[in-house]
Amino acid sequence: MNQASLPRACAEVLRRDLTLAWRRRGDIAMPVLYALIVATLFPFALGPEDALLQRIAGGVVLVTVLLAMLLALDAMFRSDIEDGSLEQLVLAPQPLALMLAMKILAHWLTTALPLIVVAPLLAGMLHLPLAVMGVLLLALLMATPMLSLLGAVLVALTAGTRRSGMLLALMLLPLCVPVVIFAAGAVAAAQQGLPWVAPIAWLGAALALALVLAPLACAAALRIALDA
Amino acid sequence: MSKWIPLWLHKLGSPPIFYRFAGTLRPWFLGLALVAGAVALYGGLALAPADYQQGDAYRIIFIHVPSAWMGLFIYGVMAVASFVALVWRIKLAEAVAMESAPIGAAFTFITLVTGSLWGKPMWGTWWTWDARLTSELVLLFLYLGVIGLYHAFEDRRQGARAAAFLAIIGIINVPIVHFSVNWWNTLHQGSTVRILGPSKISASMLWPLLTMMVATKLYYVASLFGRVRADLLELESGKDWVRRIATENSVPGEQA
Repeated sequence: MNQASLPRACAEVLRRDLTLAWRRRGDIAMPVLYALIVATLFPFALGPEDALLQRIAGGVVLVTVLLAMLLALDAMFRSDIEDGSLEQLVLAPQPLALMLAMKILAHWLTTALPLIVVAPLLAGMLHLPLAVMGVLLLALLMATPMLSLLGAVLVALTAGTRRSGMLLALMLLPLCVPVVIFAAGAVAAAQQGLPWVAPIAWLGAALALALVLAPLACAAALRIALDA
Repeated sequence: MSKWIPLWLHKLGSPPIFYRFAGTLRPWFLGLALVAGAVALYGGLALAPADYQQGDAYRIIFIHVPSAWMGLFIYGVMAVASFVALVWRIKLAEAVAMESAPIGAAFTFITLVTGSLWGKPMWGTWWTWDARLTSELVLLFLYLGVIGLYHAFEDRRQGARAAAFLAIIGIINVPIVHFSVNWWNTLHQGSTVRILGPSKISASMLWPLLTMMVATKLYYVASLFGRVRADLLELESGKDWVRRIATENSVPGEQA
């Protein structure tokens, strides 16, 4: 059998997933619209008072992005399971963890990146001070890959089940508590004029760890869930 | 002796032998748990003196604290059994891990409920985002996630393996959550009044607490044995030993 080299296989998986996502551009817009709607509802529920909105803006944007990502998480492997290409990936001679890491990267690029792009808009709607915007974006850049990686492990675990949206939320909540705490902590600290590097550094450390371990865990979980 | 024990332990991994072993021991564990629980309740509710600050309200710790210990302890047992189940694929370990989860969730729930019942008169609120309370709530969600994932699969054993994996992820997560929540809470503000400060607990209050801890452990074992027995019957239905038990039980007057 003619084996593709590892970098080439990675590039192919990435290209395939990005092409698939591009063919269904409407799905990429969905989480963004969802985040926009949720963020719009907050002022209606809490009142249009500037000071209050300003205080909660960072947290609201983070939670909104998290929920929007959760919405899209369910679909991470769904079409691949349905058409059987995930099984082919498991059988492929290339390490499964690396292939899955590419799929997670593609998912992050198509789901989280658009959300990060609109995040300043959402934060602006809630009157987050411009000086804090950079910290918010940095926190999102650290937190969203974490969520993609952690979510991928859980999605892989539920690969053998029927619809699993609520179950995913239930399983992801305990895992994302630390991520939310540190990301929101950094934004809150920056807003109060306190040093905000420490929580970002913690997030970065956790991200480095997750980058290495989560694809391995994801591969192990997928093997468990698919072996019937 | 040294050869006998491993052999005996090894045999316990076989479902029919464990079924009989658990069936014999279960009434003893249950009986001892009830006796120890009754003694502890009498000691805690009647013999122990009232607290000089909290009066009688503190007596809820005789339920609250042992339940909290059990919530964590059972999670540990579940994670170890999950690890065994995933590495060696032992059916019994899967059953132990999955049947531990509802018991642990129940203990965690009791901890949260008794804590909030105590919190209302003492702290003046049902709930506060104190680090320990939050960690306990996350622990409950971890349990619920494991239970939910287990039941989401059509195939029981596959569900057990997936949920076992989640349980192992969860046990890595517990200290991280605890640490981050601590950090989070100290960043914002100190927690509300702490009446149970660093003061040492007196011996008259300590012994009922420890007795209750033993009682909850015994109850856990009894409950786990009962649940695992039922689980094994279901998993192994169709095997000869289960058929034999079924026919034995169906004959009136010849109860096993």
